[in-house]
Amino acid sequence: MVPANRRGFHFDNCKRNELLESKGSITAKFTKTGTTIVGLIYKDGVILGADTRATEGPIVADKNCEKLHRLTENMYCAGAGTAADTEYTTNMIASKLELHRLNTNRQPRVVTAASMLSQHLFQYQGHIGANLILGGYDINGPQLISVMPHGSTDKLPYMTLGSGMLAAMAVFETKWKPNMERDDAIALVTEAVSAGIFNDLGSGSNVDVVVITKDRTDYLRNHSKPNQRVPKQTSYKYPPGSVSVIRKEVRYHSNANQSPAAVVPEVVMSES
Amino acid sequence: MNDFKQQFLGDTLTKTLFSETEASATTNGLGSTGSGFETTAHKFALAPLQKPVEFAKTHIDNTSETQARIQAAHGTTTLAFKFQHGVIVCTDSRATMGNVIASQTVKKVIEINEFLLGTMAGGAADCSFWERELGRQCKLYALRNKKRITVAGASKILRNMVLNYKGMGLSMGTMICGWDEDTTDPALFYVDSDGQRLENHLFSVGSGSTFAYSVLDAGYHYNMEVEEAKELARRAIYHATYRDAFSGGYVRMYHIKQDGWVAFDLQDVGELDIHYYPERKGVPDNQVQEEIIRPAGVSV
Amino acid sequence: MVPTEHHGDQWEPYVDNGGSTLAIAGEDFVVIGSDTRSSDGYNINTRYDPKAFKFTNNTVLATTGYRADCKSMAKSVQAQITKYAHDHGKEMSVEAMAQMLSIMMYQKRFFSYYVFPIVAGIDKEGKGAVYSYDPVGNMERVGFRAFGSSSALLQPFIDDQLGFKNRADIKPEERELHLPDLQQAKNIITDVFNGAAERDIYTGDGLQLFTITKEGGIELEELPLKRD
Repeated sequence: MVPANRRGFHFDNCKRNELLESKGSITAKFTKTGTTIVGLIYKDGVILGADTRATEGPIVADKNCEKLHRLTENMYCAGAGTAADTEYTTNMIASKLELHRLNTNRQPRVVTAASMLSQHLFQYQGHIGANLILGGYDINGPQLISVMPHGSTDKLPYMTLGSGMLAAMAVFETKWKPNMERDDAIALVTEAVSAGIFNDLGSGSNVDVVVITKDRTDYLRNHSKPNQRVPKQTSYKYPPGSVSVIRKEVRYHSNANQSPAAVVPEVVMSES
Repeated sequence: MNDFKQQFLGDTLTKTLFSETEASATTNGLGSTGSGFETTAHKFALAPLQKPVEFAKTHIDNTSETQARIQAAHGTTTLAFKFQHGVIVCTDSRATMGNVIASQTVKKVIEINEFLLGTMAGGAADCSFWERELGRQCKLYALRNKKRITVAGASKILRNMVLNYKGMGLSMGTMICGWDEDTTDPALFYVDSDGQRLENHLFSVGSGSTFAYSVLDAGYHYNMEVEEAKELARRAIYHATYRDAFSGGYVRMYHIKQDGWVAFDLQDVGELDIHYYPERKGVPDNQVQEEIIRPAGVSV
Repeated sequence: MVPTEHHGDQWEPYVDNGGSTLAIAGEDFVVIGSDTRSSDGYNINTRYDPKAFKFTNNTVLATTGYRADCKSMAKSVQAQITKYAHDHGKEMSVEAMAQMLSIMMYQKRFFSYYVFPIVAGIDKEGKGAVYSYDPVGNMERVGFRAFGSSSALLQPFIDDQLGFKNRADIKPEERELHLPDLQQAKNIITDVFNGAAERDIYTGDGLQLFTITKEGGIELEELPLKRD
């Protein structure tokens, strides 16, 4: 057990799970965002892009998930890897940055967020599976920093991460150039993410984009939707009476303060 | 030279494997002389490795124990017993591959000929292939000798055939059932891929066999009438499917009489469940009577 | 030579290239659908690698699993079918082809093909026939069957829609009255493959839909599936 005064994760079950795994028993699987995430710096700022597929093994768990996390008004973070880790890490850093902003009364800087992320991830020695692309605009201009699960950082003008990173990087390496115009840059990000969506099985569905400039941030949710579901040929409506039921119970809940007319019946059905 | 060995002589890699089994292959009664049976000269492909058998055993799985790449269909409850009017042969019909139910309609009773039945437990392909081959051998025997082979003889051919492949990963547990010509008693043998061959009046084989045995042992006696015997077999399979996740589907029943076997209609174990326990029967959702529970003092 | 993949000391010659197949037997027709994606891990090897092939004028063999084994096996079967036609002066029946495939697969019992085949055709009585196999050759004739990476998604659905399993409104003895006609069967196949492409990352790109009837022989339609 973890002492009540200690914070953070506890690793009590790690050895046990390792043993169970070695004996061939099934281990917990978690949702991974197979993912293509990209980021680039253009003339007026920085753009991040992401696909919207989340997978559990070979199955698509979420067809339209959000991988672009808001840290502050001037900073977003694209996450790949274990879905829960990217979610919780970015949320925590977002909270810390907001407190930092209130304490200092200044706009948080991108390097501050990068340091916080990097130090947090390093502390846990790669056990937090978050691969992040951090993009933002502060007094030092547009910045793009990647943070890997073990805590290392990279500062580059354009970058890709996740299982679709090669497909996306192929597009960037061909077409990226410094000081691009806004529309061209959005189109390039969309094209790079699309390359991941179509060529990497871990990525799919739609393209999310966020454009961060000096005094404005535009979150373009589902900027491109190239994978719409086709309509069904047949109706699969079941006729009444197609389910067999052993017992059907209608239960009325009473509430002393409510008039009898407000009593809501709750139908409990148990199927055979 | 034994045909079985002959086929592998060209391949130096496989020589080491068969030199070990050479002795048993020539002395197990399946030699090309004497017995009147011919060796089944099947050419089985082997992995191009020093130890192809190890490959077969680690990659092709007949049980639920390992997580091998290739999962062959398996899992079963089968039973057969002799009684005064012949043999009752009864099986479930489920096949599983890993955790998945591969089929609910498997034929686990193999009709070798009109007097002989074999059952399927273990690897489905192993059972159906070798019992089909057994049918061929039995037909050849009948043509050569102008009379049917005995059940004892047939079961021994099967045992000898699978013994050639002992230790190579075959998996089958089968009951060879029949009624010999000019005899007053039916015959029942158990044969498995380890080479074991037993004769008895009652057998049950497969993952659900323990459940079936408990029902059979409680109700079995030799002087049963046909209906009582069928009901006993049905209950035994039903209860095995109820407790064993790897058994299920339909109850398939055969009765071997002196003049050959007869097959009966399939029975869905889900319907048997309602038959034995009527309170489990459901009603279509739009016809079900609502049970209304109101707390005291509430009127609607 | 066999392509190899090494996992520790163990020789691992099998790869699962994904994809799905689904066959439905009707009173006087068979439809068999299969996607055309072939993949390895998160990579798409090709978007157009058909899994189903015409073997005689009324049989189609569709196989998922390891593509190399699928093709090698299909080639051996085709050779035997051609030889049979020359020897006997007639085409092989579905029944004969089904049993032959079972034996050919069992010949490789100790170095098995990593395949999940479905044979579809019209039988001698003019009825639709679907045969399904396990990787070592266990054969069963069935009314409908789904195989491959989406089989766990598709099979329960068609068990409900075509097998009417656990349905209170249709009695088991009345199930046959509700079997689909050719157009309904084709609609179900296109719908379930579109559904599979939504949720299974290994199924997609294209759908091949073979229709076999006694009069019309074999017809092939190709439809697009999602490519992400």
